[in-house]
Amino acid sequence: MNYLLQHVIDSSAERYAERPAFRYLNTSLSYGELVERANKLAWGLVGEGIKRGDRVGIFLHKSLESPLAVYAIMKSGAAYVPLDPGAPVSRLRKTIQHCGIRCLITHTQKEQDTLALLDGETPLECVIGLAALDRPGIRSLGWDSFDAAAGDRAPDTGVMEQDLAYIMYTSGSTGMPKGIMHTHASGLSYARMAAETYGITHEDRLSNHSPLHFDMSTLDYFSGPLRGACTVIIPEAYTKLPASLSGLIEDEGLTIWYSVPFALIQLLLRGNVEKRDLSSLRWVLFGGEPFPPKYLHALRRLWPLARFSNVYGPAEVNQCTYYHVPGDEPESDMPLPIGRVWPNAEALVVDESDQPVDRGESGELLVRTPTMMRGYWEQPDLNRYVFYRRPAVGGASNVFYRTGDLVQDRGDGVFIFLGRKDRQIKIRGYRVELDEVESVLAAHERVEEAAAYIVTGSEDSNSIQAAVILKSRQDGIADEIRQHCVQQLPWYAVPESVLFLESFPRTTSGKIDRRALQRQVIDRQTAEAAS
Amino acid sequence: MKAAIKEYVVGELLSGKDVGDEDDLLLSGLVDSLGVMRLVNHLEQQYSIKIPPEDVTIEHFMNIEAISLYLERCISV
Repeated sequence: MNYLLQHVIDSSAERYAERPAFRYLNTSLSYGELVERANKLAWGLVGEGIKRGDRVGIFLHKSLESPLAVYAIMKSGAAYVPLDPGAPVSRLRKTIQHCGIRCLITHTQKEQDTLALLDGETPLECVIGLAALDRPGIRSLGWDSFDAAAGDRAPDTGVMEQDLAYIMYTSGSTGMPKGIMHTHASGLSYARMAAETYGITHEDRLSNHSPLHFDMSTLDYFSGPLRGACTVIIPEAYTKLPASLSGLIEDEGLTIWYSVPFALIQLLLRGNVEKRDLSSLRWVLFGGEPFPPKYLHALRRLWPLARFSNVYGPAEVNQCTYYHVPGDEPESDMPLPIGRVWPNAEALVVDESDQPVDRGESGELLVRTPTMMRGYWEQPDLNRYVFYRRPAVGGASNVFYRTGDLVQDRGDGVFIFLGRKDRQIKIRGYRVELDEVESVLAAHERVEEAAAYIVTGSEDSNSIQAAVILKSRQDGIADEIRQHCVQQLPWYAVPESVLFLESFPRTTSGKIDRRALQRQVIDRQTAEAAS
Repeated sequence: MKAAIKEYVVGELLSGKDVGDEDDLLLSGLVDSLGVMRLVNHLEQQYSIKIPPEDVTIEHFMNIEAISLYLERCISV
């Protein structure tokens, strides 16, 4: 019976033991090998005291060890917590502390960073993937330590579908990242819905473009394996070099692509795509932020046989709407809709007092779906706010998630995305709370006040910029503040430039007028470009 | 030339974090895709060359050593 996320590989292994489940560069992990090695590692984790309800961190670059770690952790009864391998150590340490991670799975590549993570007070007791780490109180075991364990079956952990399968950390407005908890039930619902919607079969080859700590990875990691497909993990280097990436898509014969729009724009502009045969692509999915229509139309002309879908959904609900671009849709500059709500999901558009608006009016999107998260890890106040209970028949209530996204029904059940209610923004698909950027800036001892805002640059990519008022001027402060941000924020959230001002423009109520700041910067850029 | 490339990469793209000539710039997340674009623009201006998009590949940009070998070839042509 399949009711846990790891069961997807177990049942695919029964039918497709020899077929590749995951590929990385020129190496494959077959379903048979994946199950056997994940079972062994799961027994190893159990031997280290990991049990149902625990959290195990994954601190890995993209590699074949990642799917092994993901499935082994779930098989041990724990939830996996993917850590951004490029994030500043101080931020990761906060996450490890907050989530009470006792065990970390990593690789020799990350030895220096892992040692830094272990500095000071830490809940970590055990590191897997680095043998003989010289740290008192920390047990360390190499990847080969578990070869002798039983590979034919997983430990019996008593886990149920409502137990946690994974926790993904994302930007939090207070400066503390928040952990989105997904259960086996929500994860498996999503894997099934996506496999069904995109008609995934064992002959498909899916891209895994997204890093593991980004929620888009769950489609690649679970929907593909559910149907016995092969997921091709795209090495980080390829995601930065579109000309190499297009070669990989061709060589691997990828059939389903899923990424943020930014990656597709890069492929289009710098990927040498005209010279590649990418006709294997049958479905191109993109989401995470709006896709400027001009690029989409260019891609449609380039790959006329592929289908294109705009998928939408905060990590809290996985996906919840999709818009399949009709093959005969005329080219226009109108923003692409986020589409219809999935089957077995319900959308409500409400006003400020949670009253449903008339169809066609704008309001906040609330969603109720089996793919919804359990809540944020250890954030009771936030959880009380984000879940909206709506009275239902029989005295029961239905629980909706407040997306914070403003939408409008086009009139036929297709939604248009209008913007955010709060100050969350997207940088190449990554969620960033501008409040978090401001709170990090303001935490610097020489900063009196800080404001962060976004500016749209060339090729429609957003960049975060900031302005600060200093308590006192001093030499080298610009570098010092940049370093401070680099140490506290993930790379994509570090302001690209910081302006030093004597005062901020203010609204009549005295609040910082960030729009005016934004306009000043844009005007200056336009003037520079013109001169 | 290698020293000049390194100076730019370390100073402009890595916020001063030192890196060896053969250290992988891309895998480790040191340089992101916008960083690669900035680097290409910089090299084009600095050496008055045109780097076609199809040349911006792993073989040519994986580390400082590879970048300088590639540039030497571009300039000598």
